Amino acid sequence: MNPFRVALAVARKDIRSEWRTREMVPALAQFIVLALLIGNFGFQIDARNAPAIAPGILWLALVFAGLVAFGRTFAAEREQASLEAMLMTPASPVAIFAGKAIAASLLLVICEAVLLPALTLFFGTPFTGDVVAAVLLATVGMAALGVMFAAIVARVRARELLLPLLTLPLWIPFIIAGGQAVQSAMGLPGNYQEAIGLLIDFDILFVVLTSLAARFVLEE
Amino acid sequence: MNRYERWAAAAAALMLVAGAAIFLYAPTDYLQGPVQRIFYLHVSSAIAAYGCFAVVLVGGIIYLRTENVVADRFARAGALVGVVFTTVTLVMGMLWAKPIWGSFWTWDARLTSTLVLWIIYAGYLLVRRLSDPGRQAARLAAVVGIFGFIDVPVVHFSVTWWRTQHPGPIIVNDALPAQMLTTFFLTMACTLVLAAVMVWVRYRIETLTDERQHIAEAVPVVAAREPEPVP
Repeated sequence: MNPFRVALAVARKDIRSEWRTREMVPALAQFIVLALLIGNFGFQIDARNAPAIAPGILWLALVFAGLVAFGRTFAAEREQASLEAMLMTPASPVAIFAGKAIAASLLLVICEAVLLPALTLFFGTPFTGDVVAAVLLATVGMAALGVMFAAIVARVRARELLLPLLTLPLWIPFIIAGGQAVQSAMGLPGNYQEAIGLLIDFDILFVVLTSLAARFVLEE
Repeated sequence: MNRYERWAAAAAALMLVAGAAIFLYAPTDYLQGPVQRIFYLHVSSAIAAYGCFAVVLVGGIIYLRTENVVADRFARAGALVGVVFTTVTLVMGMLWAKPIWGSFWTWDARLTSTLVLWIIYAGYLLVRRLSDPGRQAARLAAVVGIFGFIDVPVVHFSVTWWRTQHPGPIIVNDALPAQMLTTFFLTMACTLVLAAVMVWVRYRIETLTDERQHIAEAVPVVAAREPEPVP
């Protein structure tokens, strides 16, 4: 079986199921608007401090929306025991994992499509290609790690509790580099080129590592 | 006294020897005064923690390749002891930072990455606690332990990669007088012995736990993979 076609088929299945139920996207969009609202009250935002605080709110909202999204990645599979069925096919676990990761990162991209314009609308930050590129690059590695830990916690008790505890520490590199990139793209001090380079490094590192680990995480 | 207790007593006695060297043999730092004596145990326990997390890494890799329960038990033992030594490092560091830097904590790269290290392996222990013991738990935890180890070089090199308030490597840079260096190496050796004994005792506890639960040996590895009967 061609692993690329398997991955695309799994991703298409997840996206189609989301398209038909429309459970996650509206909930996540609402979640993001709420996160911005809480950021506004928590930081007492006004026109002067908005540019300095907005990048931080962007990452806070994105990280927590991501946790909510990845927490649900294996929910449907668990309810229907369909992961076991997929693993019984000759398809390689790595391809199935890649498919889940593609679908989950698309979900995160949709979150970002709500988050970035909303940030510009509410806080007046610039909405430029540089900001979008940094956020999209961070999404790749965050999705790979998030789906891997979602697969791990799908097998343990108290999974809602454990997913953030395992995922957040390993997302920190993306938040450091992505935070720096977004800050400099929004006109605050920081080296954009260097941060983007770091993001690409982290993406490669974690995509390779999670693909190596996928077999052990998914197998029954 | 069984041999575990004898070894534990020996390790404790060695730590007293190290303590004597720290307080009686090592000279008092000219600038910082007696508080600098924290240095010996602070750095030694950080190195012991690295060693313990290396045990988790190697144990995890061996377990994923061979499903050898011994490797997994060592990984479990290493994680717990490593978290203990990371806690010691953090607490000693904070006590040292207060008089010298003026605050217990600063968001410096090394302090932050050490805190992240603590969180990662505390998470590893939580995975073990929250999953039903057996092959799956061991495999999932092995993945967590291997990924967690990525942070160890980050902690170690943070002082060279970023400009930090935390001092850089002073041992390899030959910045210490001979008496301090001797005390440091003595303390480090004693702390490593203590860590090794703790891992070993913990390994024994993990073995007994496994045996009590009849999981390690009673459930054959092949059982989960038996093919469906052909109709």
